[in-house]
Amino acid sequence: MPFFDVKQKIEELKSALNNSVDFSSRYFEKNGQEIGMVFLKSITDQALFSEALYLPLQTYEKPLDMEILRNDIIKGTDVKIIDDNEMVQEILDGKIVFFTNFSDEILAIDFLKFPTRVPSEPPTSPVIQGPREGFVEDLQTNITLLRRRIKSPDFTIETLRVGSVTQTKVCVGYIKGISNKKVVRKIIKRLKEIEVDGILDSYNIVSFLQDKPNSLFRQIGNSEKPDVVVSKLLEGKACIIVDGSPIVLTIPFIFLEDIQNSNDYYTNHHYSSFVRVIRLFGLMISLIAPGFYLALQIYHYNILPLNFLITIADTTQGLPFTPFLEILFIFLLFQILYEVSLRLPSYLGLATSVVGALILGDTGVKAGLISPPGVIIVALSKIALYTIPEEASQVTVLQLLFIIFGGSLGLVGIISGLVYLANYLNTIDSYGTPYLAPYSPRIQNDLQDAIFSKPLVQIKTRPKSFNPEKEKIK
Amino acid sequence: MKNTQISLRQCGIIIAMCIFANKILLMPSLMFENSKSDSIFVLIFLFALDFIALPIFLRLKKHYPTERLYDILKDKIGVFVTKLIFILLIVFFFFKCLLVFSVTYVYFKNQIYHDEFIFLAFISFLPVISHAAIVGIRAFSRTMELFFFFVIAGFIVCLCISLFTPISMPYFFTTTAKDFFTSTYNHIFSFGDFAFLFLVIDRIKISDGEEKSIYKYAFFSMLLVLILYILFFAKYQITAFMHNNALADMLVFSVQFNAIGRLDIIAMITIMLMTVFQMEIFSFAFCECFQSIFPLLNRAYAIVFFDILFCVLYYVFVGKYENVVSSVVSWLPVLGMIVSYLLPILFWIISYQKRRGKIEKTD
Repeated sequence: MPFFDVKQKIEELKSALNNSVDFSSRYFEKNGQEIGMVFLKSITDQALFSEALYLPLQTYEKPLDMEILRNDIIKGTDVKIIDDNEMVQEILDGKIVFFTNFSDEILAIDFLKFPTRVPSEPPTSPVIQGPREGFVEDLQTNITLLRRRIKSPDFTIETLRVGSVTQTKVCVGYIKGISNKKVVRKIIKRLKEIEVDGILDSYNIVSFLQDKPNSLFRQIGNSEKPDVVVSKLLEGKACIIVDGSPIVLTIPFIFLEDIQNSNDYYTNHHYSSFVRVIRLFGLMISLIAPGFYLALQIYHYNILPLNFLITIADTTQGLPFTPFLEILFIFLLFQILYEVSLRLPSYLGLATSVVGALILGDTGVKAGLISPPGVIIVALSKIALYTIPEEASQVTVLQLLFIIFGGSLGLVGIISGLVYLANYLNTIDSYGTPYLAPYSPRIQNDLQDAIFSKPLVQIKTRPKSFNPEKEKIK
Repeated sequence: MKNTQISLRQCGIIIAMCIFANKILLMPSLMFENSKSDSIFVLIFLFALDFIALPIFLRLKKHYPTERLYDILKDKIGVFVTKLIFILLIVFFFFKCLLVFSVTYVYFKNQIYHDEFIFLAFISFLPVISHAAIVGIRAFSRTMELFFFFVIAGFIVCLCISLFTPISMPYFFTTTAKDFFTSTYNHIFSFGDFAFLFLVIDRIKISDGEEKSIYKYAFFSMLLVLILYILFFAKYQITAFMHNNALADMLVFSVQFNAIGRLDIIAMITIMLMTVFQMEIFSFAFCECFQSIFPLLNRAYAIVFFDILFCVLYYVFVGKYENVVSSVVSWLPVLGMIVSYLLPILFWIISYQKRRGKIEKTD
C-alpha cells in the first residue's frame, strides 16, 4: 500500500492553491518509486532547485529511501519534515514540498528566492561615523544583520504569523538573561491577539502593541539600523522584525530615545551631551515659539525689551490680519508647502521652494499681508522641528495647539498647556517603563546616559528604567 | 495600589510646593502690616509648628504602611467623626486652592492683563487641574519632579537678582507680643502644609532609612521662603506693606532689572508653574476627601463638583480678593488650626495607641 498517491496529491495541492499561475510541480518515477515535488516558481530559486535536487535525483541509481534523500541527495539547503496539513503554508513560504509513495514523511526544502535590496545606509538615519548598514525588507537578511553583531546563544528569536490573509512572519528578538521576561511575554501575547487581514509593514502592528493606541505620542521605538537595535537589545529591550519591512520596532520606548541619536555614540561624549541639549532646546523652540511670540505680542508686550517691541510694532503696523490669524496663516502656509514638497517629484520640489519662499513669503511681506517677525518665528519653529525628526509629526500638531493657547490665553495658556502635556505624558507607561524616565520619575542610575552622557568606560549598569533581568554590565 | 504610589522624592517636592503656597506673593506684605519685620519670627514660629507634624506623619506611616487615612480614622473614632473630619479637610483644601488662585489672579491682573479677560485665561487652569486630579497623584507628582528644577531655579534667580540692589538688615523686635500672636493667628491658614501628607499616607513609598529625605525637602523650601522674607524686608523696609507681590517685586525694583531687560518673566513663569502645581495638589486633596465621604461616586463627580464650586465661589470673589483675604484672617484661621494642629495631635494619639498595643502584644 503506497503512502501517497503522488499524482493525486499534486492535483490536490494545485486545487488548494487555486490553480495559481505560478504553481509548479515535478513528478518523478524510477523503479516503481514515485516522487512528487510542488512549489511556487515565483518565489523559488529554480536554478538551485535543478542543481541541488532535481539533477542529483535523476542521476541517483540505487533504490531511494528518505534517509538517503535527506543526507546524500539534497545538498546545501534546509530540509525539515512537515505534516500533511502544513504543506500549503510551506509552499506559500517558498519551500519545495517533497513527498513519495514509499514513505509517509513529507519534506519541506528551502529554495526561497525573491528580489531583495542589498543592505545600505538608510535615508532616514545617516551617520557621520559608525556603521552604515541598514535593514532591508527581507526578514532573513535582517536577522543575519543582528546575529552578526550578537554572537551569543542567549540572543533568541521567536517567530509568529500575523494577519489572517498575509500570514506575515513577525519575529520577536531578545537576549535571554538581559531582556525583561514579562515584557517579552506581553509582546508575544499582544502579537498573538492581533486580528487583521494583513500586515504590510511594521507600522501596521504598532497600534496593537501600544498601551495607549489613541495617543498622539508613539510608545514604540523604531530603527532602520542594526547597530542601534543591537544597542537597545543590550539595554534590556526586545525587538520586533516584520517580514517585508526595513523598520525594526523596539520595546519599551521612552521619549528620551528621540533626543538620542546613533551618531552620539560614535563621537566624544562631551559633544554628544552638547548636541542633545541643542536638540532638546530645538524641540522646545519648535513647540512653543509661535505660541509664545503670540502671547508676548498680544498680552505681554511690556515684557519685551523696548527696541524689540518697536521693531515688532513697526513691522506689524497696518497688517490686515490680527496677530493670531497672521501666525496661523503662516503656519498653515508652511505646512502646505511641506506636504507638497514631500509628495512632488524632486525636480518639481525646487520650483515649489521658489514659489513658497520667494513668491509667497517675500511677496506676502512686501504686500503687507504678513510681517517679517511672524515669518521668522514660524520658520524658526519649523526648522527647529527637525532637530528631532522622529518627533516631527506629533510636535506639528502640538505647535498648532500652542498657537491657539498662546493666542487666546497668553502666557497662562502656554504654561497650562505645558503642564497638561507633561501630566499626560506622565500617564504613559511603555511596558512598565515611564515615558519621561529617567527625569520624571528621576532614576539616578539612568542619568549616566540621558541628556548628558558619561563615557562608555564609566557606564557599568544597564538602564533601570527598562527593568533588565541583569543590571550589571560585564 | 502599586501604580498609584509615589517616591519619597516626589513626596518631598509636593511638600515643597505646598510650603511655597500662599506665602511668597501677598503674605509678606500682609504680615508686615501686623508684625513689621518681626514677621520673620512669626514665620519661623509657624514653620516650627508645622514641622511637628512631620515626625507624627512618619510614625503613623510606620504603623499603618498601606492603610488609607479614612480607614485608620474609621477604625479608631467611628464613621461619623471621620466623615466630619474629612468635610473639614475638604473645606480646608478648597479654600487653600481658592486662596492660591485669588492671589495669583491679582498679581497677573496688575502685572499683565489689566482687564477682566484674565478670568477666562485663569479658568484655563481648571481643565489642567481637573485632568491632574483624574490621572492621579503619580502623574502630577512626576510632572512636578520634572519642573521642580526650573521652579527652584526661578525662585533662586529672583532672590539673587534682588541682592544686587543695596539692602540693609531690617530692625527687629519693634512690635509687641500681641502683634506677634495676632499675626500668627491671621496667617495660620496659609500653613499646615503637612496635612496633605496624612491624606495620601498610603500612596507614599518609604524605604527604611529614607525618611530624612522628606525633612531635607521641607527644610530647604522653608529656608527659601525665610530668605525671601528676610530679603524682602531688608529691601523694602517700612514700605514692604506696599509690595503685594513679594517674589516678583524682588526683581522689578532691581537695578539689573532695567539694565538687562524685563526679567520679571522669570518670576511670572515661576509663579505660574507654582500656582498650577499647588492648585493640582489642593484639588486632588479635595477629590480624595470627597471620594472618601462618597465612596460610590467616582473621581469625575468629585472634580466636576470641585470645578462648579470653584467657579461659583470665584465668581463671588472675582476682582475682590479682599473678600478672600478677609476670610483668611477671620474664620479660616480656626479651620487652619484644627487641621494643622488638632488633627496631627489626634494622629499622634492613634499612633501612640498602636505602639502601646504592639508593645503589650510583645510582652
